[in-house]
Amino acid sequence: MRRFKTTKGLIGIVLLTIIALVAILGPMILPPDAATKMDMLARRSPPTWNHLLGTDQLGRDMLYRVILGARTSLEIAVSAVLMSIVLGLPLGLVSGYFGGWIDNVLMRLVDTLLAFPALLLALTISAVLGPNVQNTIIAIGIAFTPYLARIIRGEALKVAQMPYVEAARASGTTDGMIMLRHVLPNILPAVIVQATISLAFAILAEAGLSFLGLGTQPPAASWGLMIQASRDQLDVAPWTALVPGAAVALTVLGLNMFGDVLRDILDPKSK
Amino acid sequence: MTYVLNRLLSVILTLFLITLVTFAVTNILPGDVAMMIMGTQSNPEALEGLRQSLGLNEPLIVQYGNWIGGLLTGDWGTSLIFKKPIAELLAQKAVASAIIVVMSMTIALALAVPLGVWAAVHRDKWQDTVSSSASLMGVSLPDFFWGIVMILVFARWLGWFPSSGIVEPSEDFLGALRYAFLPSLALGLGLMAHLTRMTRSTMTGILGQEFIRVARAKGLTERTVIWRYALANAIGPVITIAGLQIGYLFGSIIVMESLFGYTGMGWLTYQALLNRDLPLIQATVFVIAAVVMITNLIVDLLYVLIDPRVKLG
Amino acid sequence: MKRREFLLNSTAVMGGSVLMGGFALPALAQDTPVSGGTLIWGHSETTQNLDMHQTGTASSGRVLQNIHSSIVTVDANLKVIPGLAESFEVAEDGLTYTFKLRPNVKFHNGATMTSADVKYSFERCKDPATGAVNFEVFNNVAAIETPDDLTVVIKMSAVNAPFLSRLAENGAGVIMPVDSGPTQGTNPMGAGPFKFDSYEVGTVVKMSRFDDYWDGPAYLDAVEAREITEPTTRLTGLRTGELHMINDIPLDRVGEIEGDAGLQVKKWFPLNFDFINMNHTFEPFKDKRVRVAFDMIIDKEALMQGALWGQGATTASPSFPTDAAYNKDLVQRPQDIEGAKAMLAEAGYPEGSLNIVFKATTNYPYHIETAQILVEWFKMAGVNLTIEQLTWADWLSQCWVDKDYQMTMMNFFTLWESDFLYYSVWNSKGAFNYRMISDPVIDELTEKARITVDDAARAEVYKAVQKQIFDEAHDILLWFRNGTIGAQPKVMGLDTVVHPNGSNLNFHKVWLSA
Repeated sequence: MRRFKTTKGLIGIVLLTIIALVAILGPMILPPDAATKMDMLARRSPPTWNHLLGTDQLGRDMLYRVILGARTSLEIAVSAVLMSIVLGLPLGLVSGYFGGWIDNVLMRLVDTLLAFPALLLALTISAVLGPNVQNTIIAIGIAFTPYLARIIRGEALKVAQMPYVEAARASGTTDGMIMLRHVLPNILPAVIVQATISLAFAILAEAGLSFLGLGTQPPAASWGLMIQASRDQLDVAPWTALVPGAAVALTVLGLNMFGDVLRDILDPKSK
Repeated sequence: MTYVLNRLLSVILTLFLITLVTFAVTNILPGDVAMMIMGTQSNPEALEGLRQSLGLNEPLIVQYGNWIGGLLTGDWGTSLIFKKPIAELLAQKAVASAIIVVMSMTIALALAVPLGVWAAVHRDKWQDTVSSSASLMGVSLPDFFWGIVMILVFARWLGWFPSSGIVEPSEDFLGALRYAFLPSLALGLGLMAHLTRMTRSTMTGILGQEFIRVARAKGLTERTVIWRYALANAIGPVITIAGLQIGYLFGSIIVMESLFGYTGMGWLTYQALLNRDLPLIQATVFVIAAVVMITNLIVDLLYVLIDPRVKLG
Repeated sequence: MKRREFLLNSTAVMGGSVLMGGFALPALAQDTPVSGGTLIWGHSETTQNLDMHQTGTASSGRVLQNIHSSIVTVDANLKVIPGLAESFEVAEDGLTYTFKLRPNVKFHNGATMTSADVKYSFERCKDPATGAVNFEVFNNVAAIETPDDLTVVIKMSAVNAPFLSRLAENGAGVIMPVDSGPTQGTNPMGAGPFKFDSYEVGTVVKMSRFDDYWDGPAYLDAVEAREITEPTTRLTGLRTGELHMINDIPLDRVGEIEGDAGLQVKKWFPLNFDFINMNHTFEPFKDKRVRVAFDMIIDKEALMQGALWGQGATTASPSFPTDAAYNKDLVQRPQDIEGAKAMLAEAGYPEGSLNIVFKATTNYPYHIETAQILVEWFKMAGVNLTIEQLTWADWLSQCWVDKDYQMTMMNFFTLWESDFLYYSVWNSKGAFNYRMISDPVIDELTEKARITVDDAARAEVYKAVQKQIFDEAHDILLWFRNGTIGAQPKVMGLDTVVHPNGSNLNFHKVWLSA
């Protein structure tokens, strides 16, 4: 059992390392125009020796695009999720720990945000601030914050009622210290789990937003943009969706495997 | 009891907050509906004429007041681009989306719970990995991908379901279900990921508990232990998480309904946003926000009922 | 089943809306139209406003074309011919128009059309409170007189040579029953071959045959216009047989459908023209040399193959190809990257010094494809082009209204009437001059054309306008795009479906074979 767990974690780490390497080294090794060079004689072609993963509707090589797109997509997804953690963690922590009216007020605010379709949010940000990568990160980050805040609040609520927390309070430790020393480490596993799923959603969110014009602007490559572009040609050129889709799937898989093991290490109680 | 009252009060307050934010946001959106109606035929004079006839030139406070007053008295205004009373539009489209919401949730739970239980029972073995990989497929590819796959497989190749369209449930209930099935299936796949994980982790937690050991010691079959004792306790948190997914579901519905030409709330919201139909945006966004809010309220109340360890107030 | 295909010659332009495409030759016995059946049409866009006066969208136009009739219309050669008016006369001085209406024309509500209805319809269109898109067609109208039930006399305050042609454009010349205005948005009513039954918002418009149509009843019992905006879904619907007919086959799939023996394709052209715009208030674009150089960077034919998958024809003039005013002598500049670089350098913009933002709307996916191809060519010429994708609402807001852009592109649908086209788009006071072009030569010519009553002379003036636009490279004209219809083999009479304006669809003569 233990051995398999380690195997799972190992596979996860290996996957993630490969993807990270591809994302970082890709742009260094490949010429920048590899992702935008159009081979008009080989438009929308399935995998061939010339183009190992096929080409898209403008004849651009899918392999190069998916490699060079890795960095953009991961940058956006990671930044957005980080932003949602930075915003949502303190919200949920404070809310769950103190409970009472603080909880009420904060969660009402969170609920208001939660209630709005992310699409409206993104549309507004895009229209008002402009369609660029930064604003995409902001849009996705803000949209994810309420989910994270709510889940963290639930966990914090549970932990706050644990006997050792009561004890710490009784012994005169400040609330701040308690939150930092006792509550935070115990909710970390939940944060990690949520973060890994959020990363998957973040990459897909970029795809969904690009039809609004937000996010990576063509002809640059990003997994989200590639997935979005595949929409109208799915039945004749499925590889245009499957190639970036597989990239996302592998990343998400790696993250989850790794995250699971990490959580098990950090929180042996969850057996 | 006080908790319930408290929550109800805050729901009303939040709804009010939501109306404010909705109104503010929709008026920040640049571009206006007169331009959308006229498109590239628009010229300044014609635009002004149209704006005037649509009542867009009133001061904002007046417009807000009118809207709130209308909301409370049942007059939800008229859609500027569809020229129909909004209340009528909403009633129709809401029913359509309700069918999809219920169906997709049912499908998702029907798939996710067994999968999650299976994973929990065979924790850390290959079944666990297969289960999480399978459920992750749902999230790795976007909704429209699964939607189109459904269309290609079930409509085009097998011909079992229609590729698009919608039918009034009051006219033809079974037909309405048929049209709703493919979009719901595609949506369900997306919901599965989270639900499977939740089922798995909740089940795992429960399976490690005292009363399960006792049940096993009593000689009950493993099957009974898992499905009657463990699952019964796990189902609560899973349902509550499902409730929280409603918000996500409404987001996905926007894309999915447009794909299938299934004109429900999601489709209506999208049209409203795209065309800057302010009254319609306000109404749809408000309704969706209210539904999500109320669902969260129910979820919170259920949470209290199910897990008495959680003290609130 | 034999298939015939007409090849499109990309430089020559043939008469009329050129109809071409592969279709299964029906067995001779089925050449006689059969009455009956409901045509199920997969409509690519959502119909919004059903009020003929208020709507400017092509989607509504396609549907309403079947519900309304116009006082005059056009034939395939764009000549104005009688519609609801059986004859018309223009006075020598161009200030009086007399229409003699057809007797016994019935509206869908059973009422008979009289001159009062014409007066009502025109005045409603002209009234700014209606918010009509075409209201300015009636700008110079001083009075509308109705001496008897079948005669309408329109008195103009100034000569307006294009008036008749503008009336033939569906929205302005449509005749509605008196006082039907307030309900036209929810219950459109007119004198067309089909009457409106119902509209389920976003889902389907249902129309059924109007047996008392003045030009003879239609063959079809009914038409169902189902709104399916998603291209893949629409195509699938056609393939499964759920839809009898679809409009707007995605450009990259036309070849595939044409090759499918089980379906027929109708192509016509032009549907619209596309052109690349440069904002004339943006410093570099004030210099003619920069504009011409940009024109030289683009290989229009290759661009069309790339972005349109060959579904169109390049053109240097935006005039309707069969219009007498179409300037056949203009030939697009061929691609010459080195020449462009030299010209840019001469204008003070050596390689690497120009950074331009190209705003393209996702409303027309082929615009985005075009932009991406342009980026590559401009890179070769030392110009750094970046793309900004905008939704339709944002494009209208930023580019059309605020003129806040550097470079963009757009298409226009039904602007085939020369005055409307050239004045609105290129005159410095034109309502559609979002590029802020101010060219005194064009201003003078377009004003002159308005008062030139002789058709041939007017055509020459417009040809001169086109030459000026081309020489100055005010915009870069790209191509005319094909319109497409895909249909099941049993849909007959598709040759008659497309209105000469290239956009509206009329099902009067369509029938379903057994």
